[in-house]
Amino acid sequence: MGIVFTKMFSTLFGNREARILVLGLDNAGKTTILYRLQMGEVVSTIPTIGFNVETVQYNNIKFQVWDLGGQTSIRPYWRCYFPNTQAIIYVVDSSDTDRLVIAKDEFHAILEEEELRGAVVLIFANKQDLPGALDDAAVTEALELHKIKNRQWAIFKTSAIKGEGLFEGLDWLSNTLKSGGG
Amino acid sequence: MSGHDSKYFSTTKKGEIPELKEELNSQYKDKRKDAVKKVIAAMTVGKDVSSLFTDVVNCMQTENLELKKLVYLYLINYAKSQPDLAILAVNTFVKDSQDPNPLIRALAVRTMGCIRVDKITEYLCDPLQRCLKDDDPYVRKTAAICVAKLYDINAELVEDRGFLESLKDLISDNNPMVVANAVAALAEIQDNSNTPIFEITSHTLSKLLTALNECTEWGQVFILDALSRYKAADAREAENIVERVTPRLQHANCAVVLSAVKMILQQMELITSTDVVRNLCKKMAPPLVTLLSAEPEIQYVALRNINLIVQRRPTILAHEIKVFFCKYNDPIYVKMEKLEIMIKLASDRNIDQVLLEFKEYATEVDVDFVRKAVRAIGRCAIKLERAAERCISVLLELIKIKVNYVVQEAIIVIKDIFRRYPNTYESIIATLCESLDTLDEPEAKASMIWIIGEYAERIDNADELLESFLESFPEEPAQVQLQLLTATVKLFLKKPTEGPQQMIQVVLNNATVETDNPDLRDRAYIYWRLLSTDPEAAKDVVLAEKPVITDDSNQLDPSLLDELLANIATLSSVYHKPPEAFVTRVKTTAQKTEDDDYPEGGSETGYSESSAHAADGGVSPTSSSNVPYSAARQPAPAPPSPAAPVPDLLGDLIGLDNNAIVPVDQPATPSGPPLPVVLPASTGQGLQISAQLTQQDGQIYYSLSFENNSQVPLDGFMIQFNKNTFGLAAAGPLQVPQVQPGTSARTLLPMVMFQNLSQGPPSSLLQVAVKNSQQPVWYFNDKAPLHVFFTEDGRMERGNFLETWRSLPDSNEVSKDFPDIVVNSVEATLDRLAASNMFFIAKRKHANQDVFYFSAKLPRGIPFLIELTTVIGTLGVKCAIKTPSPELAPLFFESLENLLKV
Repeated sequence: MGIVFTKMFSTLFGNREARILVLGLDNAGKTTILYRLQMGEVVSTIPTIGFNVETVQYNNIKFQVWDLGGQTSIRPYWRCYFPNTQAIIYVVDSSDTDRLVIAKDEFHAILEEEELRGAVVLIFANKQDLPGALDDAAVTEALELHKIKNRQWAIFKTSAIKGEGLFEGLDWLSNTLKSGGG
Repeated sequence: MSGHDSKYFSTTKKGEIPELKEELNSQYKDKRKDAVKKVIAAMTVGKDVSSLFTDVVNCMQTENLELKKLVYLYLINYAKSQPDLAILAVNTFVKDSQDPNPLIRALAVRTMGCIRVDKITEYLCDPLQRCLKDDDPYVRKTAAICVAKLYDINAELVEDRGFLESLKDLISDNNPMVVANAVAALAEIQDNSNTPIFEITSHTLSKLLTALNECTEWGQVFILDALSRYKAADAREAENIVERVTPRLQHANCAVVLSAVKMILQQMELITSTDVVRNLCKKMAPPLVTLLSAEPEIQYVALRNINLIVQRRPTILAHEIKVFFCKYNDPIYVKMEKLEIMIKLASDRNIDQVLLEFKEYATEVDVDFVRKAVRAIGRCAIKLERAAERCISVLLELIKIKVNYVVQEAIIVIKDIFRRYPNTYESIIATLCESLDTLDEPEAKASMIWIIGEYAERIDNADELLESFLESFPEEPAQVQLQLLTATVKLFLKKPTEGPQQMIQVVLNNATVETDNPDLRDRAYIYWRLLSTDPEAAKDVVLAEKPVITDDSNQLDPSLLDELLANIATLSSVYHKPPEAFVTRVKTTAQKTEDDDYPEGGSETGYSESSAHAADGGVSPTSSSNVPYSAARQPAPAPPSPAAPVPDLLGDLIGLDNNAIVPVDQPATPSGPPLPVVLPASTGQGLQISAQLTQQDGQIYYSLSFENNSQVPLDGFMIQFNKNTFGLAAAGPLQVPQVQPGTSARTLLPMVMFQNLSQGPPSSLLQVAVKNSQQPVWYFNDKAPLHVFFTEDGRMERGNFLETWRSLPDSNEVSKDFPDIVVNSVEATLDRLAASNMFFIAKRKHANQDVFYFSAKLPRGIPFLIELTTVIGTLGVKCAIKTPSPELAPLFFESLENLLKV
């Protein structure tokens, strides 16, 4: 399997943008992360009813980042964006412990999708700046990340407000995509 | 066919939609833009590209304004068909409504207003709120209109979110275009609302007047329309407003001019100073005249409006009558309107000029125009007493040219002139009588007969003249018959000699026994009774002095005129109808009228028609011809009691009365063979219902008969069918008149299929509920025999039959034996089956048995192939059928058994 993807990505990353979906429950911080990555600043956001798409250039890779609304009513339409996706950034509100179970269910449902079979997964344990936020190990446990098979994944502690951990995650992502992981 | 052939079904070509989908997801912007253009092109020519919804919406977030506009266009078109997915566009709309570019902000809010999807509407509110307060006037003015759109989708939301207040604030905006659009939006919202929303205060008034001078022409129209609804506090304020608006009269746009005229006319009602009013009238004339130099279509609109204006303020155009003279090349509709206005503007001062014009028109070629011109002369004669003589001399000149329709039209108006000026111009009767033979139109004939009757004592041979008409009495139209009747009575009263007496007997006989027109019959009876009881009283009634008439034709009712004047420069003022007469904002179900209950009442219809005609005549100058009739309807001597000594004539009359009148009022009931009883009178508290499904000319009917054995009249019948195998339902309301005790009513209720289909195994059971206003709901069961549904196109060719038979698998064949049935006559059986749309195809001998083949078809194309095997004249028939719907076989056998048993 690894060989197949090596070939695929070496051709893909000649000059093409990597298509990345930012998913997660509502109020996880997806839009804030997107604009922090794109503009380097914190913008005030409102719940995303629909999507945002921006191009982010990092480490000589152009990422076409699709930030999809996380509200219950919009989650069914995530699947419209699955084809041709190389990576998923799954954002979790580490302080919202009540809804971690839902976050876990949604996450594993995404991994089941046939169209996302080849996508690498980057998990952001976001909102580390808030008191009571779980650390990466706890989030790993809560999301049952150890169940992930046949896929490269990583988890980072992040704070979109402070700008911590985001670029480390992106570093991992660009390296993984360049080396043709998956 | 070998297994390799399957390759023909798989193709490498993808088809248009997948190709477009791929291009829309391309990484290259140019390719995406081209793809969206292709999608829009396909959409424009009517191809359904709604399946590309998400792919197109994904192209929405772009810097490229052209691409954005295309995606918006796509959204407006398809959001309705993809209401769920449309939500994906919301975030982009919200973003765009905050874009630095005002064009994009306005575009976003405008597009959101055009997307009438409930789920989106709630998200529209925040961006809209922002855009209403935007720095850029273009965005504000777009947002203002968007509020009106939103109000149409969800009025409550607009009120709850305070958008109405925001809109009202925009009236004080410093940009005139924003003010105009806010006014337009508020006016639109007001039109759709019952509560007062938009009321101009003295504060907003000055804002509007300021904006009026600065905004675009169409903006001016909106503001003027709004101002015309403003009620000024006093005459001074009204004068001030009018003064500010007067410069608009010089505008090049005729809509602005008409709206300004409307506004000034409304405010003029309050102005008391005659000087000011006179001045304003002077100022309004030139712009109105200018409108008449535009294209004919605009002229027509202007003329229809002017028609209203001169009815209220004739002085405005009193000196401008010349501009209404018809040009030879005016279209006929312009000419007709001009004539109408000329009559309204004719005065003692200009009548000579006008008469010359009318006379000229009366020699033109267009018959309708000529007639209208002749009539116009007559109406001027009635209107202007001092000019009457000149008008009549023109009419006489026209009669002399002996053009048939001119003469007839002249006679009609001269009759009115006689009514208007009694005992003045009778000298011309002799001239009129010369043209007697050429009259062939009912109205002209009726008018001439009225003249003869009215002036019978001055016309020496009046009896001969009338007699010549009497010969064709039965063939004449009702209008002429009525006049003949009255004229003969007048003649008899004026010259009670033998000739007229014979005539009157003929006429009365004709008008009572021979006619079925209730108007004529009733009038004849009244005359008859009058003449036979008290000839002096008859004289008082029939020859009574008539009230003076005026020319009030084409004059509108004052309240209607008020409403139309308030709607000048709209369609309403062109139609001369109030807006609600032709615009329906809320769909209301039509109330069932009394007439619907009596569809067969021929005599009823005849009555209402003629009475309607009488009512028409009442408002026109032709009413003179109807006056004897109304006079006859005035309190007449009380009818004599039967015991009083009366002449033989009256005895006949009463005898006739009883025989003739009673039967006519009874509605005829359709007859037919008796129907099977479905609800016996014992169960239905005296109401017995018989019913049967039938098919006539391809339409299925439920034939019903209601027999009322109870003590009270029953009415308000309604019917409802339970869900059934065939989905039968009534195609319309049940139309049954009131059923009196001891009578019955029959009706045919058209039915539709596939309306309320029931689940479960097929059944011929038809459950029906019937109710009326007096009794509880009655439920009964009826059968829906399958053969009622067989269609008329069920006949198959032999080859087709064989092919269909073979194509159906054997599992679709069902057969049944009918041991008790005997076929005696082949022909009668075939006829009976054919009558139920089961068509004979072929016959063959098999041993000593005869085998018949038939075909039949159910709606929606379900064929039935039928094989009947029997020995003629011997008990026992075997039936085998093949059909794609073998589950219906039991119903078929049930139905067939009934058909063969008979």
